[in-house]
Amino acid sequence: MHTRPHYFRVLLTFLRNSLVRDMTFRANFLIDTISSMSWVFMNLGFYILVFRYTPTIGANTGWGKHEFFLFLATTLLINGVIRGLFLSNAIEFSEQIRTGTLDFALLKPIDTQFLVSLGRIEWSAIGPFACGVLLLVYSLFQVHYLPGPLQMVLYGFYLLCGVAIYYSLMIAMAATSVWLGRNKTLLDFWFYITNFSRYPMEIYTGTYGDPIRWVFTFLVPVLIAVNVPARLLVRPLSPQSREDWLLLPFAVAATLGSLIVSRWVFNRSLLSYRSASS
Amino acid sequence: MATIEIERLAKSYHVYQKSEGLAASIRGLFRRQYREVQAVRGIDLQLEQGEFVAFLGPNGAGKTTTLKLLSGVIAPTSGTARVMGFVPWHRDNAYRRRFALVMGQKNQLWWDLPAQESFRLHQQIYRIEPDRFDRTRDELTGMLQVRQLLSQPVRELSLGERMKMELIAALLHSPEVLFLDEPTIGLDVIAQHNIQNFLRDYQQRRRVTILLTSHYMKDVVALCRRVVIIAWGRIIYDGSLEGIIDRYGGHKVVSFQLADGQIPSDLGRYGEMLPEKPPRAKLRVERSVVTDVLGRILANHAIKDVSVEDPPLEQVIAEMFNQADDLPKDKLAEVPELLSEE
Repeated sequence: MHTRPHYFRVLLTFLRNSLVRDMTFRANFLIDTISSMSWVFMNLGFYILVFRYTPTIGANTGWGKHEFFLFLATTLLINGVIRGLFLSNAIEFSEQIRTGTLDFALLKPIDTQFLVSLGRIEWSAIGPFACGVLLLVYSLFQVHYLPGPLQMVLYGFYLLCGVAIYYSLMIAMAATSVWLGRNKTLLDFWFYITNFSRYPMEIYTGTYGDPIRWVFTFLVPVLIAVNVPARLLVRPLSPQSREDWLLLPFAVAATLGSLIVSRWVFNRSLLSYRSASS
Repeated sequence: MATIEIERLAKSYHVYQKSEGLAASIRGLFRRQYREVQAVRGIDLQLEQGEFVAFLGPNGAGKTTTLKLLSGVIAPTSGTARVMGFVPWHRDNAYRRRFALVMGQKNQLWWDLPAQESFRLHQQIYRIEPDRFDRTRDELTGMLQVRQLLSQPVRELSLGERMKMELIAALLHSPEVLFLDEPTIGLDVIAQHNIQNFLRDYQQRRRVTILLTSHYMKDVVALCRRVVIIAWGRIIYDGSLEGIIDRYGGHKVVSFQLADGQIPSDLGRYGEMLPEKPPRAKLRVERSVVTDVLGRILANHAIKDVSVEDPPLEQVIAEMFNQADDLPKDKLAEVPELLSEE
């Protein structure tokens, strides 16, 4: 008998079981898809309106209308993966800590973080993700630009880095429920923080902007999650700076750092877990 | 080497003490008072392979905490424990593959999916070979008579059916050690009986080591020879079921019905009268004088029917708590109620 679980097969079973559940509650699935797609279209409409008043975000930043839509598409792709794979699991994890049902996850002969992070998958996130893909392709056509193979690979890689940074922050925040006892505001807090990362870094300048850029780049590196992959596609169209090149290795370091710190917080939280009630 | 070895195992918690009212809540924002609760106070226990042991005690006695420590869900404050040679709270996968914990008050199956989907997930997590998985699942569903319910969503099962599915989920990987925390809680008499029968058959077939907590004395009488009683974090009895009755059940219950259907007014001279529906009468009689009392009743009255029984186990255990000197007496009033059958 094999002693190590087959992680890929377990993940496939999670995907399958979640799909079976979603198909059972098809009305709920439909409403979920419609509401998340509406959010995407409202956002898109809002930025179309904004670009009626200005051709670019800031002078000489390179973020014209379609360049920004490439950025928006990148946000949609990362958020789609986060929402589909991790968001409801992180909320559930926080709730399991509060109610003591995390017991069962701790009994299983498999990595607890893996089990907790991917147990329930939201298929309805496919809608916004697909919108992201369409918007990406459409915007690339609009700017008459075809990325080279290396650029595509790097874009994919930094998308994954962005997902990993977001995920790390989310799971670490959920794990703090062990010490806080109650962490119902996880979703709100998550929205507040990631709100900053939905715009190009260039807008954070001046006495108010600089500290925000600094904090969300070096301390809680959410700003680079979307910015780095998006810039890989967009910035080759405009002059490169030395800073841009430095962002690439920094994003990898920030991703590794985030994963390590969140793993540490997660493991610490399991040690302090009290298993509420019987 | 014993399968389960526990030495001076202790677990305490800091619990926030909140006084009543808004003012106290506001004070609590700035300054909090914590109380240390000693859930388990240094217990020693050994279980041999294949034993089926009942772990009894009132609510808050430390039963569930002990099971959680042995399952590695929580870590102790001090002391040691080894189960099949593993330290549970190290959470080795090799250990987690070899035991199971079933909790009557918490469920692990996917609520919205049929149980068979959760079973498949267990198959992947524990990496059970397909043939073995099918065989074990069929054996368990057959024994518990739930095969036709496998494709029904868990939320549409009755409590008893759900408990059976929880048991199956816990046993699919053929654990060698099983911790059962009130597996029959809230179940009706028939469902309780079914689960008891299943546990007895399963244990006899597989010779697994089982530690069972339950408030239902019928579970204990039906399943376990050895009983461990814990109260306020300490073990106060460890021995046979009969041993408790011999040691603490200092009396027997004599019930009878006279041929003429009357209940004489002077029955009190034989022993303490217990409430009973006429025309039957029930007496609490000191164990040492039972034969004598029976002789006198038979000599003085025409008897239609008579029986002599041990007192109910919950009463005996309540008596045990009364005799345990170092236990907080203010808690004793709760004991018979806590141990009684609902």
